[in-house]
Amino acid sequence: MSSSKFEEVVNKIISDSPPGELREIYDDLIKITSESSKNTILDAIENYNVQNCIPIDVDGNSIIISKYNKEGSKFFDPVHSVIFSVDHLGHRGLDIEPYEFTHPKLDKEQLKRLHDQLREYLAQNFPGDVSFAVYPVPEEPSKISIIIVSTKYNPNNFWNGHWKSSYIYDLDTKELTGHISTQVHYYEDGDVSFQSGKAIGQNNVVDVVSTIRDVETSFENELDFSFSDLNEKQFKTLRRRLPVTRSKINWGKAIGSYRLGKNAAEGK
Amino acid sequence: MSDAQFDAALDLLRRLNPTTLQENLNNLIELQPNLAQDLLSSVDVPLSTQKDSADSNREYLCCDYNRDIDSFRSPWSNTYYPELSPKDLQDSPFPSAPLRKLEILANDSFDVYRDLYYEGGISSVYLWDLNEEDFNGHDFAGVVLFKKNQSDHSNWDSIHVFEVTTSPSSPDSFNYRVTTTIILHLDKTKTDQNSHMMLSGNLTRQTEKDIAIDMSRPLDVIFTSHVANLGSLIEDIESQMRNLLETVYFEKTRDIFHQTKNAAIASSAEEANKDAQAEVIRGLQSL
Repeated sequence: MSSSKFEEVVNKIISDSPPGELREIYDDLIKITSESSKNTILDAIENYNVQNCIPIDVDGNSIIISKYNKEGSKFFDPVHSVIFSVDHLGHRGLDIEPYEFTHPKLDKEQLKRLHDQLREYLAQNFPGDVSFAVYPVPEEPSKISIIIVSTKYNPNNFWNGHWKSSYIYDLDTKELTGHISTQVHYYEDGDVSFQSGKAIGQNNVVDVVSTIRDVETSFENELDFSFSDLNEKQFKTLRRRLPVTRSKINWGKAIGSYRLGKNAAEGK
Repeated sequence: MSDAQFDAALDLLRRLNPTTLQENLNNLIELQPNLAQDLLSSVDVPLSTQKDSADSNREYLCCDYNRDIDSFRSPWSNTYYPELSPKDLQDSPFPSAPLRKLEILANDSFDVYRDLYYEGGISSVYLWDLNEEDFNGHDFAGVVLFKKNQSDHSNWDSIHVFEVTTSPSSPDSFNYRVTTTIILHLDKTKTDQNSHMMLSGNLTRQTEKDIAIDMSRPLDVIFTSHVANLGSLIEDIESQMRNLLETVYFEKTRDIFHQTKNAAIASSAEEANKDAQAEVIRGLQSL
């Protein structure tokens, strides 16, 4: 297999992985291939962590990494004023150094207020392990990026849950765009995946946190409705709980009489 | 290939997105070609269909158990499609003549079952011999398959692989052992609202049961008993698994989702706050 094909296959497998299980998937891939594929797999996991905004433990603080706070191969945290590199498999920050960042449009007071509002909203709506970030958008000083990640990992009971919502808010035009995505993996005696997402676009947003609260609450309510709807409309019509006769089948020689009965009813 | 590699591959496939199972399976085989045979025979993927041109293009289901080279044997006419060359056919697996009789009976009965429970869809049953000598109603194995889909939005595949063996203690008692996998895919994508929702995956369960059959009766009566025993066993398993799927898909995943995001905790926190305030007020009033 060529090395570019190998990379492509490893990238595809990693991108198909549910959050919270990358360590096990890494171990499996090493067993299936060999230690020599280590760097290719780790590169793919780094991409995965950045794309999925995976929180990293930096000196006890949970810091989201993303393309917005990436600086070369390192990531910065504007709140604690540090820059760090990442152990992408262990989800830990390394080589932590001081780093001063000032947003061109948001002063420290405004940023703090935004953080406080977000913290209050999250405490009331996200029972999982929740992290958030307000980052600048490179080259676009009027925009900020807001990211919320909530996870609940329970590998002992074979399930993991993940929520991510990320937005771009334009401080000048007051436009809010973004995407909510959520997934659940349940893998006791099987492999069941629930995935849902929605694109968000709102104009004239003055109070950004309260708008996020509104769109996320309505997304959650729509999901609750969709669960019931999928059950009632799609699942129930795939296979009946019992035949129309409301009793189990009378197996044996006479089973053909069901067909005769049906044909007679249909006038065949 | 080592057992550790095979176990790692199975663990991996159990973790990756189930909607791209076939693609991930192919990729793993690219990474480690030695795993191909074992993975293909032990990982259940959504069933594909073929048409039997010898039986008015009636559709049948394809899996690794009725495959030879790249062709699949039809349970209706016992023919492989796409058709195999006479040379290839010499080595192709077919059930022995008496077992084929049982296979025809089983297909006929499970087709009635399919109609009653699925009201549509496709069923197929494939049997294979477990002994060298001619089949006499004793040991055999097989697979019962059902598929039902509705547009692109929902798909159900049932795969029941079973083995029927004579119990060592009594020649009239049989052990029926069934491994069932149900692959269920449900999709609710609303392109107009830029939203999607998908519930997809598979669950596997194993069941076994010992049942006695009077082996002094004629072979066709024994055959009917085998199909009836398998039939009611599979009917029970599918009913239980349907309940299990309903619980896992619509309750379990929804509960887990709400453990990451739940607007209801805000209102319950407010309630708690009000209660606490009421306590304080009561405390003040009692002073």
